[in-house]
Amino acid sequence: MSVDKLKDAVKQILNEVDIVIGYTEGFDKVHATPLFINTQDKVDQLIWDQRCVHNLASYLPSLKRKKVGVIVKGCDSRTIVQYIQEGLINRENVKIIGLPCSGVISLKKLLKAVDFANIDDITFEDNGNVNVKTEKETKTLSLMDIAPDKCKTCQYPTPLIYDILIGDPIKSDKPKESVYEDIIEFDKKSLEEKLAYWQKVFDRCIRCYACRNACPMCVCQDSCIAESREPHWISQRATLTEKFMFHLIHTVHLAGRCVECGECERACPMGIPVNTLKRKINLEMKELFDYVPGVNPDDKPPMYTFNVDELKIKEHKIG
Amino acid sequence: MSGLENKEMKIVGFLCNWCSYGGADTAGVSRFKQPTDLRIIRVPCSGRVNPLFVVKALLNGADGVLVSGCHPRDCHYSDGNFYARRRLEMLKRLLPFLGIDHRRFHYTWVSASEGARWQQVVKDFTEVIHKLGPLNLTREA
Amino acid sequence: MTELGFLKKENLVEFLKELATKSVVYVPVADDDVVAFKLFQENSTICLDRPANIPPKTVIFPQYETLLTFTFSKKEEQPDKIDVKIQEKMDFKDTVIFAARPCDAKGFTVYDRVYKDSDIPDPYYVGRREKTVIIGFSCPNVSPGCFCTAVGSTPSDKEGSDILMTEVSGGFVLEPVTEKGKAVIQSKFIEDGSKYLEEAQKKQEDVKNKVKNPFKKAGKPQISQEKFNDDSFWELALSKCLSCGACTFLCPTCYCFNITDENKIWEAERLRSWDACMFPHFTLEASGHNPRPTKFHRFKNRVGHKFLYYPEKYNGVLACCGCGRCIRYCPVSVDISKVVDELSDTNSENKTLTSNGGEA
Repeated sequence: MSVDKLKDAVKQILNEVDIVIGYTEGFDKVHATPLFINTQDKVDQLIWDQRCVHNLASYLPSLKRKKVGVIVKGCDSRTIVQYIQEGLINRENVKIIGLPCSGVISLKKLLKAVDFANIDDITFEDNGNVNVKTEKETKTLSLMDIAPDKCKTCQYPTPLIYDILIGDPIKSDKPKESVYEDIIEFDKKSLEEKLAYWQKVFDRCIRCYACRNACPMCVCQDSCIAESREPHWISQRATLTEKFMFHLIHTVHLAGRCVECGECERACPMGIPVNTLKRKINLEMKELFDYVPGVNPDDKPPMYTFNVDELKIKEHKIG
Repeated sequence: MSGLENKEMKIVGFLCNWCSYGGADTAGVSRFKQPTDLRIIRVPCSGRVNPLFVVKALLNGADGVLVSGCHPRDCHYSDGNFYARRRLEMLKRLLPFLGIDHRRFHYTWVSASEGARWQQVVKDFTEVIHKLGPLNLTREA
Repeated sequence: MTELGFLKKENLVEFLKELATKSVVYVPVADDDVVAFKLFQENSTICLDRPANIPPKTVIFPQYETLLTFTFSKKEEQPDKIDVKIQEKMDFKDTVIFAARPCDAKGFTVYDRVYKDSDIPDPYYVGRREKTVIIGFSCPNVSPGCFCTAVGSTPSDKEGSDILMTEVSGGFVLEPVTEKGKAVIQSKFIEDGSKYLEEAQKKQEDVKNKVKNPFKKAGKPQISQEKFNDDSFWELALSKCLSCGACTFLCPTCYCFNITDENKIWEAERLRSWDACMFPHFTLEASGHNPRPTKFHRFKNRVGHKFLYYPEKYNGVLACCGCGRCIRYCPVSVDISKVVDELSDTNSENKTLTSNGGEA
């Protein structure tokens, strides 16, 4: 897909909306950054490639009163579907430009692959090869080796909802069963191992709330209970107890709502796998209620509803 | 009685005002003997029980948490416990993933007339928690 | 001071072990690819080849500290009366920060002006600061987003360090900067390092030349008051900001804090913890009014504090040492250097405008 088609589409819808959200070059060769286009002359700054990692749909609830155009990948489109399910946006105020996507890069994995060297240049080939030039070497990597985990099992490469689709739809070639393989694998560990793992990773948390603020479904924003003094859910102590509690607040509030865009762990400056707990709940939601978040706009999130007779929930015995 | 010979454990119980709290009262009035490890917190409905109450209790020193409400279809507010059932089931399935034994958390339904059933629930749950021993999730004193 | 020392690479752990017998030693440790300053242990995976994700400010200005504790008590004979015992917590240990990057070390000098060398010094900060020796580590390479040379520093800046360490073939050259630093290298593991001086200097110069300058205009950035006060600029430039605290919490020069009382039933603590101007609660008033209602107001303050208000108060010194963390770790790549560059006054060559709008 040439970026020119995208630019043409943006130019066109800019006549109907106040702002279009897309991607542009970031501070170096490997970073893209969100671009807010309010005038035609900014359209030429648009880029589209494997560096476009951000979930731009996240900005929609805060721009609810404006008419907004937004560029979404397949995974990002699930956010919009979930917003519609929860009544968080006015669909008629949003123009969705869909872009089929066959994977993006994970900055964390890319940096690791080049031993944290400064990257001078990066190019992407159609066959999935990524050429990286650092001070020391020029390396060819496979995109799937440096893609975020969500891309490796992506079921929705083509946006599920859009007004304009640019480029040909892509069908997923990843088996459905692979999506939660890592979760099932992790769950096989002993309780002690699992607890030790979470203690280790949550201990790193600095409570900067980047995960929460980057999360498209964390719509409480300025009123988050993690920061409220009344009720006083967590204190200002930066202890493991408080960090653990914060992450569980995030997890439980996303139960059956997480669209698995992975923005939380992408945003984390301390490399905490923040998305894992939410995906565990999603796996259970699928099993219990056959529900997958962000797929069908007419669905109802499972925690917002009930059945008088729950088919899959059996009464538990003590012990 | 089991659970009483050893050191007392910390068990937090969230009980709905209309059924389980009444059930506990019935058990008391009927002089049904129960272990004393359970600390009861009365809530208006099991639907008021935020799964995070359970998490907060476990993280801050509770060794076990029990939630009890009206039987399904018997909710004083008609559907509070239906929501509770989904939320608490979600939590029950999440805990082992975090490394917390799922047996430390139990949710059940006890009506105001079921004093004997309440006694049994408390006895059984206390016994299980005593078997599991103290919980220290965050390596803090 | 010219008494250069040299530490062989193979003696590094032994040297740290020796230090650890006398002081609490913090070293940059890599864990799951995340580098942070942690207590030195013999099996620590010390990481020197890239800057830590989070600067060692945590050692002297911890994320939270107990300023004092309260204990309440009641006597049986007087149940209506509650006694309160208040106890200060001021127990500071001799500490060494090993391999702080020069930008991280320099960050402490930004704190010093506020917490140490001011009319009302902060006893908690001063207590830790004076007991801490900082071993700076001249950067062996540059990282994405670094711009120290553009804000009046270099990757081998000695300011803030007690010793500056430079990696050369086979080991490290240690150059004492202060008396405190001199004392630390009185060790059997430190040899004479004068013959490595040239190599160290060359290395420092090489790295310095690699640091990018993001500013169009030469010299330290000077912000135009007119552009700074134009809210429409901020609104558009910061549309993408998420208003999280990653930039401030990872910043070696951000020093804002909050004080809260954290109560239990019979005891309580008065805590000081990091706060961030990027959070809405930072300026939220009891009435419910927030003078910085949106994320762009908040970011404007962050830039203003670092590049306008602080320099105005402290003889033009910027409260930014160019470590680049806020750029590198920003989830949406907000680039403070770009914002400052766009705000820079390109018309006036020599005029400096103060935040009051007057000429300095």
